[in-house]
Amino acid sequence: MANIAGDAAKNRTYDAIVIGSGISGGWAAKELTGHGLKTLVLERGKDVKHIKDYPTTSKNPWEFEHRGQLPVEVKKQNPIVSKCYAFYEGTEHFFVKDAEHPYVQEKPFDWIRGYQVGGKSLLWARQTQRWSDFDFEGPARDGFAVDWPIRYADIAPWYSYVEKFAGISGNRDGVPQLPDGEFLPPHEMNCVESFFQKQVASKYKDRQVIMGRAAHITAPQPIHLEQGRAKCQHRTICERGCPFGGYFSSNASTIPWAARTGLMTLRPDSVVHSIIYDEQKGKATGVRVIDANTKEEMEFYANIIFVNAAALNTNLILLNSTSSRFPNGFGNDNGLMGKYVAFHNYKARISAEYDGHLDSTTDGRRPNSPYIPRFRNVYKQETDFLRGYAAGFSANRRSVTNQDGLGADLKQSLLNPSLGGWSVGSHMMGETIPKETNYVALDKSLKDPYGMPQLKISVVYDENDEKMTKDYLEQMTEMFTHAGFTNIQATNTDRAPGLDIHEMGGVRMGKDPKTSLLNKWNQLHACSNVFVTDGASMTSTSTQNPSLTYMALTARAADHAVQELKKRNI
Amino acid sequence: MNRRVVIKHMALAVTGLVLLPGCDLGSKKAAAQEMQPFLSPDQEGLLAQVVDTIIPATDTPGAKELNVHLFVQKMVTDCYEKEAQENLVNGLDALEAKAKKAHDKAFDACSAEERIALLRAMEQSGDTGEQEFYKLVKGLTVRGYMNSEYVMMNLTHYEAVPGHYYGCVPVDSKTLS
Ligand SMILES: Cc1cc2nc3c(=O)[nH]c(=O)nc-3n(C[C@H](O)[C@H](O)[C@H](O)COP(=O)(O)OP(=O)(O)OC[C@H]3O[C@@H](n4cnc5c(N)ncnc54)[C@H](O)[C@@H]3O)c2cc1C
Repeated sequence: MANIAGDAAKNRTYDAIVIGSGISGGWAAKELTGHGLKTLVLERGKDVKHIKDYPTTSKNPWEFEHRGQLPVEVKKQNPIVSKCYAFYEGTEHFFVKDAEHPYVQEKPFDWIRGYQVGGKSLLWARQTQRWSDFDFEGPARDGFAVDWPIRYADIAPWYSYVEKFAGISGNRDGVPQLPDGEFLPPHEMNCVESFFQKQVASKYKDRQVIMGRAAHITAPQPIHLEQGRAKCQHRTICERGCPFGGYFSSNASTIPWAARTGLMTLRPDSVVHSIIYDEQKGKATGVRVIDANTKEEMEFYANIIFVNAAALNTNLILLNSTSSRFPNGFGNDNGLMGKYVAFHNYKARISAEYDGHLDSTTDGRRPNSPYIPRFRNVYKQETDFLRGYAAGFSANRRSVTNQDGLGADLKQSLLNPSLGGWSVGSHMMGETIPKETNYVALDKSLKDPYGMPQLKISVVYDENDEKMTKDYLEQMTEMFTHAGFTNIQATNTDRAPGLDIHEMGGVRMGKDPKTSLLNKWNQLHACSNVFVTDGASMTSTSTQNPSLTYMALTARAADHAVQELKKRNI
Repeated sequence: MNRRVVIKHMALAVTGLVLLPGCDLGSKKAAAQEMQPFLSPDQEGLLAQVVDTIIPATDTPGAKELNVHLFVQKMVTDCYEKEAQENLVNGLDALEAKAKKAHDKAFDACSAEERIALLRAMEQSGDTGEQEFYKLVKGLTVRGYMNSEYVMMNLTHYEAVPGHYYGCVPVDSKTLS
């Protein structure tokens, strides 16, 4: 830096740089500023300020031109993102449009992204379960990928730390493979869900149906009120952005908290191109950025760099950060960067009907649903596939109308619906095995509109996933049958990977620099002032949703970074 | 009671903010604007009669008064393939022709019973185009009507903010909407 003249460089120098402002980047920003570090947060997308920039949050159904449905043209122009259930007239502005940010599908992979301040935290379904030692010990026990360098005990206090701030609702269920957390009161199960819970418990000792644990403030604590967040109002239109801050999003929680310190500089429209490595110092000194509006290239400098661009983009940035020391990508001495990408298997679902409990119904809306923790291969290997799956479950009762008539008759029946029976449904959430052959890489010739190489994704389901899918459908059919549900429809959707939106790996943690890229503190083995704490760092995937774990790892790594900085180790 | 008032005010405050610029509805707007309404004024008038036959005014407004015909046209313009637009035009022409043939007058001039019978004839027609026309218009009319502000606010009592979820309430204590 000494050769860059005076003020200009100084003005662009910070204590820390965070790349990405989504779920993990928001936490990095909050923790680093909380420890007194002057922090620059670089975000490639536009700014989205809590409440002010939620254009559809208070729209009523009739205020949408197409009542929520997307025009045919929009769907045609966006064949990939249109597959995502959460992409509709009220949310499309928070999703990346296919044509604007191209990538290469070497194998079909539906990559769903949110490029804006807050990233995908505006859009997520807010399911937040801790991982357990059954997950952290999985690779070592079952002999795949590499051993995690941490165990549940390393991260448990950090789960508590982030849960209290984010606000997680749930029951303390005492399920060993799903550790309890710091919970606000749970959402309520309905009659048929508790009925199913009892039916499952009566037949299987090892299977539970519990209420989902979700990032919703069901009873605000002082720490939530201090963030300006209020109780969840059960509007169930969370993905449009919540004016109450009722669910956790970076926009409502971590980013404004970091801003309050006066130490955060947030720079939207800043596409990080690469990380700068200084050979003399043997460390990273900053990042190169392309201004999204002017396409101007610029540099920013800092002692610590947190890479939180979401798993695949983090891979892209690091692979694109080449120097004579790192010709194959930043910290990629062993050539494993971009490999061992894994995700979740959401291929199958099942639905049925139930004609009991007809004297009861539900009232209001619930932004959450019950959950069935993993029950396969937990204590020992008992099936012909590795690992297991969790499942979502829910029951609801809908009103029905006879729409046969015409004229005044039709009007009469439309305005006088009757209660139909209950319908029940479930979807699977399976663990996939990280493999070297599932990888991302930079395309050698294709560039994106910012001059960055396009990411090439080569990720597929395998036989293990197929066997697991089959088992889920069989087991769930058995459980539904036992409960007396009828008209059971079990479906393997055969969808492509990606739509689960839980992509992980490529920059995995591990004990050995020969077989992993990050150490147990999420520092690159080869460059200790660069931290990767989003999904890219996951060694394996668990069956639980991942984002709570990204938050906990980020807070933990930020704490470590600050300590190391104080000790002058980085 | 008080709480409800507070929530209403909050919702209003937020709605106010929504009007600020920066609300980027992106490609949808552009796509929607490119497309011209494809019905002639006469056809649009006929469509209004059709939706009002499907859901007529009684002691409450019918579909036409609630502008459901405009919604139907908007949906067919933006959210359906070209064939659906052609189908709508052809269906309207066929309906008018049927009215002329059966009653020697315009659909508009037919009695409510005659109009219903003409629509039923489309539903039961051997011609798949006519069946499709009936299904399309009826489906969208029901949707546009049920999701209209008038019906949601006054007849089915939509609440944006229920604030609660009760998992097990006796059926008779709950009014359906
Ligand atoms: C519909 C939906 C439902 C989901 N449901 C759940 C759920 O129930 N539970 C759960 O745990 N997870 C869920 N997820 C996944 C969850 O949203 C992600 O796991 C989480 O947001 C990842 O956090 P992140 O910080 O890694 O990435 P993000 O939140 O995506 O943030 C990454 C940020 O980095 C920015 N960025 C990328 N590249 C660059 C660059 N080159 N320069 C600068 N900035 C860059 C992006 O614009 C983005 O803002 C869901 C996601 C979606 C879309």
